[in-house]
Amino acid sequence: MVGKILIYLSFAFSILGVVSFFLVHTGKEKYLKPARVFYLLTATFVIATSALLMYLILTHQFQYSYVWQQSNRELGLALLISTFYAGQEGSFMLWTLMTAIIGIFLLRYVSKGDRLEPEVMSVYSLVLGFLTFILILKSPFNYVWDTYAGDVAPGFIPADGRGLNPLLQNFWMSIHPPTLFVGFSAMAVPFCFAIGTLIKNKYDEWISYSLPWLLFAGGVLVLGIMLGGYWAYGVLGWGGYWAWDPVENSSLIPWIIIVAAIHTMIAQKRTGGYKKTNLILCILSYLLVLYSTFLTRSGVLGDSSVHSFVDPGKEVYISLVVFMLTFLAIGIGAVIYRAKELKTFDSGSKNILTRESALFVGAVTLCASALVVFAGTSWPIIASGSIEQDFYNKMNLPIAILISFINGMSLLLKWKTNDEKTFFKSLLFPLIITCVITFALVIVGVQDFIFALFAFAAIFAFFVNAEIAITIFKKNKSGIGAYVAHIGLSLFFLGIIASSRYSQDVNLTLELNKPVEAFGYRLTYLGATEFEDPNNQTDSKYHFNIRVQQDGKELLLKPVMYFSSFSEGVMKNPDIANFFARDLYLSPMGLVEPETFTKDQIHEIPKGKSKDIGALNVEFIDFNFGGILPGGEEVRSGNFTVGAKLKVSDNKFSEVIEPKIEYKNGVPSYFVAKMSDKPNLNFYFAKMNVSNTGNGEAPTASIAIVNTDETPMHIPEESLVINASIKPFINILWAGTAILVIGFFISIYRRRKDL
Amino acid sequence: MNKSLIGAIIIIVFLAIGFFSFMDSKIEYVNFADARDIHKKVEVKGQWVKDKESNFDSGTNTFTFWMKDDYNNEMKVILDGGKPNNFEVADAIVVKGKVKDGTFMASEVLTKCPSKYEATGEEIKNSGY
Repeated sequence: MVGKILIYLSFAFSILGVVSFFLVHTGKEKYLKPARVFYLLTATFVIATSALLMYLILTHQFQYSYVWQQSNRELGLALLISTFYAGQEGSFMLWTLMTAIIGIFLLRYVSKGDRLEPEVMSVYSLVLGFLTFILILKSPFNYVWDTYAGDVAPGFIPADGRGLNPLLQNFWMSIHPPTLFVGFSAMAVPFCFAIGTLIKNKYDEWISYSLPWLLFAGGVLVLGIMLGGYWAYGVLGWGGYWAWDPVENSSLIPWIIIVAAIHTMIAQKRTGGYKKTNLILCILSYLLVLYSTFLTRSGVLGDSSVHSFVDPGKEVYISLVVFMLTFLAIGIGAVIYRAKELKTFDSGSKNILTRESALFVGAVTLCASALVVFAGTSWPIIASGSIEQDFYNKMNLPIAILISFINGMSLLLKWKTNDEKTFFKSLLFPLIITCVITFALVIVGVQDFIFALFAFAAIFAFFVNAEIAITIFKKNKSGIGAYVAHIGLSLFFLGIIASSRYSQDVNLTLELNKPVEAFGYRLTYLGATEFEDPNNQTDSKYHFNIRVQQDGKELLLKPVMYFSSFSEGVMKNPDIANFFARDLYLSPMGLVEPETFTKDQIHEIPKGKSKDIGALNVEFIDFNFGGILPGGEEVRSGNFTVGAKLKVSDNKFSEVIEPKIEYKNGVPSYFVAKMSDKPNLNFYFAKMNVSNTGNGEAPTASIAIVNTDETPMHIPEESLVINASIKPFINILWAGTAILVIGFFISIYRRRKDL
Repeated sequence: MNKSLIGAIIIIVFLAIGFFSFMDSKIEYVNFADARDIHKKVEVKGQWVKDKESNFDSGTNTFTFWMKDDYNNEMKVILDGGKPNNFEVADAIVVKGKVKDGTFMASEVLTKCPSKYEATGEEIKNSGY
């Protein structure tokens, strides 16, 4: 009850905030103080709501549906905390919470000096209005007896919760979603600044004070995205870090747009150009965040994502659409309202050979990349079908090459005009060193033209940036943010080339204790050991120990497989040996248990037919279900005994025998049958096969005949099937990402005086 | 050199390449009957036929199973790779690939298991005090 009231209060105060900040804009200054109080109250109630939800989770109040659905008593503290945002309701709550907290800093920021406070905060409060409204519809505070009315009586408190999806039970669950949501929430700020500027009809000042916010949103969002990538790579065993999944794509698209905006805003700061571009990009980036939310939360992509989000219900669907359309209308409305003024702006320098133009071309190229991802991701809602992953790779490869070249060249250009001669002269040094390194790479093995070109472009951008960074670092340490970010991006690109194009993989069957060679490593499967997972005591988890040896050194990798009772399926986690120049990635695929019978001992005979086996003729007469119904309750339960009536004849006489098979929980044990005159032959009923009977085929029985006089054949030990792969230089990719993020934060630090 | 002209050329070339590449990459949702006649990659949604053969061949690294589409057409599917996660409990599966000699050669299988992630009234009834 309290939770719901708190949400209603947050919603009410956010709307009061929208109205009163707008009144301040119209000139009624006396509303400024109340407006600020309304915003702070909104934020306070949102924080209180979140604290309450966290309290309910930590104290296991399973009478609340959300707590019952997402958590249980077994989970450790870190994972228990993360169940806060494991479901739809909670992740909306987290988004609202982050937006509210960021808003407190934003309010403090815009109230300093002339920073469009009423306009920005009015729009920002509206964002919170929509988010809290969704929380009213999709409340995490429903009681189980309301959610499951009819199933349980009011007052019912479940003894334990359902627990957290095992896919989410790891360290990354604690940091990836919160990081991503901080980024998502911060993306609202550039939108509010752009709208505020349009309302105010002033187009210059907003650039300098909104840039730190764009950098913050961009830096945190890309960190969140790549944490997700690392999660997928290191734990989920997708084999890669990026699968062009709709959920991944939809957070990437706004990020690309905000990065484009950062560049054109820097251009405007220097030259005064691109005023329209900047407004439109800032508006677009948040519209794309909302579109992304709509795509991944409304259930429209139900069939095409591995992040299968559940259909949230009609009300949430509609409110997401209204949320998106309202902000689209605000964006378009504001631009149309000021169309006359916007038309008068000069479209920037006419000379192509300037840094300003290069930045613009770079931004256009980035937008092209966003368009590619947007088109591919949106396709399933337009038509029935989807887009091959390869489309994204094919299209983004030339874009990434172009971006690297533009990145390198733009920095050698001056802002307004350039002497072509000095420009080409400055190109010389980076070009030479790039040629040398690329040539070396080609010799080492980078021989596809397009990848060699990509490597060339990335190395070129790397050296141009490194050279400038070193020069600048001597004068102004915090001025190197942009160059650090670019160096990070170049390294990231080189990491992509190495780890994706030049990765190799192979499937191996590792028989117990028998070494197998792969990629220069000697791999030995040493058997499985059960281990304790403090967060999950319900399931028995197993490490499949693999010894990895190379050049006298050895280490133990422990990929995991276990049967999850939550998912009713086998969960698999890879294990990775991280070397300086490569990762050895071992992904478990399955365990092959030793077969009871060898292939040549087994004979499949259709019902009513006979087969000559050696000197014998074996006829399979019928099954003997011993009174139970074939396909009945007992059979389906996996606990039953069935016999196979066999008529075995040699040239002298024939005899009917009946080997049996007994299933206990689906696990078979075999009862031998013998002929009276041939004690050395054991007859087993190995398997019954009735699956093709629907097609009119007769059921069959697999009969195993084991001659005890013959020396037993080699019975293979259990074998572990794994997919082993080599990811060359993937460390460069992760390092590149980290450097990229650091670059963003250096740039924010540089602008700390504006904060 | 005119900047907007260069921009326009880049955009047009890009859109043209993008359009053709897009047309080339799109995968249609069809049923097995239609999939036989389409000689490019398609997607088929349906259910796993649990009582027919399904096995993983570690030699070829393929997982073979039978699937029934929403129009009750059955077809054998050979997936390039191991058994997907959650395969046993999936409400529905989506296979991507092409038909070759009457068998669906899948490059990817998506499993849909909303029911497992959404709690049911049945479950809470059994959760006790």
